[in-house]
Amino acid sequence: MAEAIAVREITKCFPGVLANDKVSFSVETGEIRAIVGENGAGKTTLMNMLYGLYHPDGGQIFVKGEEVKIPNARAAIEMGIGMVHQHFKLVPSYTLGQNIVLGIEPKKGLLIDEDSLVKSVQEVSGKYGLAVDVNKVAADASVGEQQRAEIVKALYRGADILILDEPTAVLTDMETEELFVMLRGLANNGKTILFISHKLREVLAISDNTTVMRQGKVVGSVKTSESDSCKLAEMMVGRETIEGRMRKEDPEIGAVVLELKKVNVLNSRESLAVEDVDLELHSGEILGIAGVDGNGQEELTEAIMGLRPLVSGEILVNGVNIANRTNRQIRESGVAYIPSDRNRAGVAVEAHVWENLLAGEYYIPPYSGSINLHPRSIHSNACVLVERYQISTPGIKTQTGHLSGGNVQRLIVGRELGSDKAMVVVASQPTRGIDIAGTEAIRKILLEYADRGAGVLLISADLDEVLALSDRIVVLYEGKHKEAGPVVDGIRLQVGHLMTGGEGECPV
Amino acid sequence: MKNIVMKTPFKQRLKMILAETVTQIANYAIILILSLLVGAMVIYLTGKDPIAAYQALWKGAFGNWYKVTDTLDRSTVLIFSGLAAAIAFRTSIFNLGLEGQLYIGAFAAALVGFTVKGLPTGLHVPLCLLAGALAGGIWSLPPIIFKLKWKVPVMVPTLMLNYIGILFTSYLIAFPFKDPTAPMAGSPVLEATARLPKLLRGHTLNIGFPLALAAVFLVYWFMFRTKLGYELRLVGYNPSFAASTGLPVKRSSFLAMMISGMLVGLGGSIVIMGFFGRFMGGFSVGYGWDGMMISLLAQNHPLGVLPASLFYAALANGALTMQSTTGVPQTVVVMVKGTIMFFVTVQIFSSAIRRRFQKWTSTSAE
Repeated sequence: MAEAIAVREITKCFPGVLANDKVSFSVETGEIRAIVGENGAGKTTLMNMLYGLYHPDGGQIFVKGEEVKIPNARAAIEMGIGMVHQHFKLVPSYTLGQNIVLGIEPKKGLLIDEDSLVKSVQEVSGKYGLAVDVNKVAADASVGEQQRAEIVKALYRGADILILDEPTAVLTDMETEELFVMLRGLANNGKTILFISHKLREVLAISDNTTVMRQGKVVGSVKTSESDSCKLAEMMVGRETIEGRMRKEDPEIGAVVLELKKVNVLNSRESLAVEDVDLELHSGEILGIAGVDGNGQEELTEAIMGLRPLVSGEILVNGVNIANRTNRQIRESGVAYIPSDRNRAGVAVEAHVWENLLAGEYYIPPYSGSINLHPRSIHSNACVLVERYQISTPGIKTQTGHLSGGNVQRLIVGRELGSDKAMVVVASQPTRGIDIAGTEAIRKILLEYADRGAGVLLISADLDEVLALSDRIVVLYEGKHKEAGPVVDGIRLQVGHLMTGGEGECPV
Repeated sequence: MKNIVMKTPFKQRLKMILAETVTQIANYAIILILSLLVGAMVIYLTGKDPIAAYQALWKGAFGNWYKVTDTLDRSTVLIFSGLAAAIAFRTSIFNLGLEGQLYIGAFAAALVGFTVKGLPTGLHVPLCLLAGALAGGIWSLPPIIFKLKWKVPVMVPTLMLNYIGILFTSYLIAFPFKDPTAPMAGSPVLEATARLPKLLRGHTLNIGFPLALAAVFLVYWFMFRTKLGYELRLVGYNPSFAASTGLPVKRSSFLAMMISGMLVGLGGSIVIMGFFGRFMGGFSVGYGWDGMMISLLAQNHPLGVLPASLFYAALANGALTMQSTTGVPQTVVVMVKGTIMFFVTVQIFSSAIRRRFQKWTSTSAE
């Protein structure tokens, strides 16, 4: 079979990150190719370059044997490349049919020719066995139907190379099954399919070949039938001994400070995001929660912090059930919170540094009386925190938005841990997107804080971070917890195996 | 540990404060001059003398002692509605219902003023003001309850309640509380004990103005010096952050809305009790709407509301004189106001001026 699409030595830099480093691979016509890798391995960047949304800094792209430049998505579509994004881009108030033909509608004079619209869409969808209810309004369609419409939309535009970015992330198991049948049918009809996934079970079930990426590089491309989930997980996360371990070897582990019993939480789409999660965090312990983004981490942290209701289950802090209490009550029972989205939930960027530093304790002495704030003690405490947590700022009356990401994070950590009251620290993606010095500093603070006897729940999609800091690791996969055990040599592979959907243990 | 906090030297801090003050003053001065120039151009194009028109404008606002107190009196209600807007906008509650709340508050004050009899002024006046504030506050509540319960954005319900409030009070004075002796549609006359005492004999200025001044400082103190005010401001900056740090987001939104309605209700009451002496249909010439503009002009800062309101009152009074003595229509003033709002919202001058100061303020850092 002929080569459908290939890249050679593709490189893409973003400020401070080498997102794609001399990436090469080629895909045959009629092939289903899975692209796997951790968060931040460079998969989506690569696909966006194939669709013309980003432009490579170096290297070549070949479509059907010819070297091409893809300046924009329109050009990609003309070359027969279609993309279905992770978040669908349908107009909610239009019918699925109207969405499919959007921009290239069949016309009768100035008006849209509804009859031939329906006919032409049905022609395409019938040819590939992708049933789409043309007259259904997009907002009323199920996620699976919307995705099918997106695929038909690409095919309608003549795509014969389809790129799907995590197509199963939002689907139910049934819908996933259906999608796979459709994809296989398309491949049999000579379409080429590239899809990004984190779920190795699905990769093994549907793909012909698998390309594994890690830290912007291609680790290798293998024939899927000759591989298994352990081998792929190993390629994804590596099996080298743990580097840059920062945690000391013999921490003093004490009593249980945080306990989750059969916790169930819904996501914003009202489906179960966290399922029967049991966790135990001890005093003096750092418990790493590893996992690919979007496997229930956000919902779990929000449930612990009282920002999202529990469907069922108990959350005990020092033996007291805090499930469904208010955020303030939970904080007062000794829980500190470092949220994953700094600028949304961690600070008010328009507020002054001192105002953000005050937010946790403004309502108690010495910072305020029954009505008034006490500026003197507020300001002196803010200055102490700025100095102790080395927040680099011109002053405490500076707008927080003017600070760098690393310093904003120091500010948040200073506010949450500065009073030394918290016995439990819920740290979600604490170093995401901040500079190296800031990352180092934040990690050291968390380690020291655990040494003083607090329990730290470290939720991070960065496997290296979890391995460097944790005493013990639990993996979240599709909302369920999987115990990976204490951090010892060889756990890296096990964690990689579990977070991509593997069961049991991999042979070492 | 390395000391990263820059202990800002006193001299430099003084420079920074000075620079910011000069920046703000220069910013508004430039905007004012430019806007007046635009107005002058239009006056000139219509064949009138812009200098004479502006002189008349000035005379109308501050020409003599009576005009000055008249302008102060006119600013009173504007201060209240400006504060009402500022407190709501600072909390990111877009209360567009000030006009309706003003009418309802004013009517409640009037109602207490003409039905309750036999009280001394010292009791009757506070009682009327209280009724006006409460009614304005209550009228503002349905939209915020809709928001907190069903996530309905407050803009539309507040806006719609304006019409309901204005027309409802018109109905009340047309039927149940109609005074047949009134020259225009109006309620019965308030008891003398419910009228606001005058400050100066023969002037319109009454104790409403000092009350407004007190309100400015009270609102400033509330927003910047109290726990509740701190909550309101943080909720206004970023509600998700406030929620995940344990701040009572719902309570703050509720409080901001209610205080906003109470303040503007108080403003309406003062106009009725001080100036008209009875509730009149259509008595407000857009005081509620002006409040939003004033707040915008004051960058939602309570202390800024005072000069902004005085400015608006001066323009309003001056425009009357300008029209009657030079024949230049009042709408020119509306245009000047519009131009000012344009320049204030685009904020092009302040950043340019600030840049100029940057070098100067940082020189003494070494």
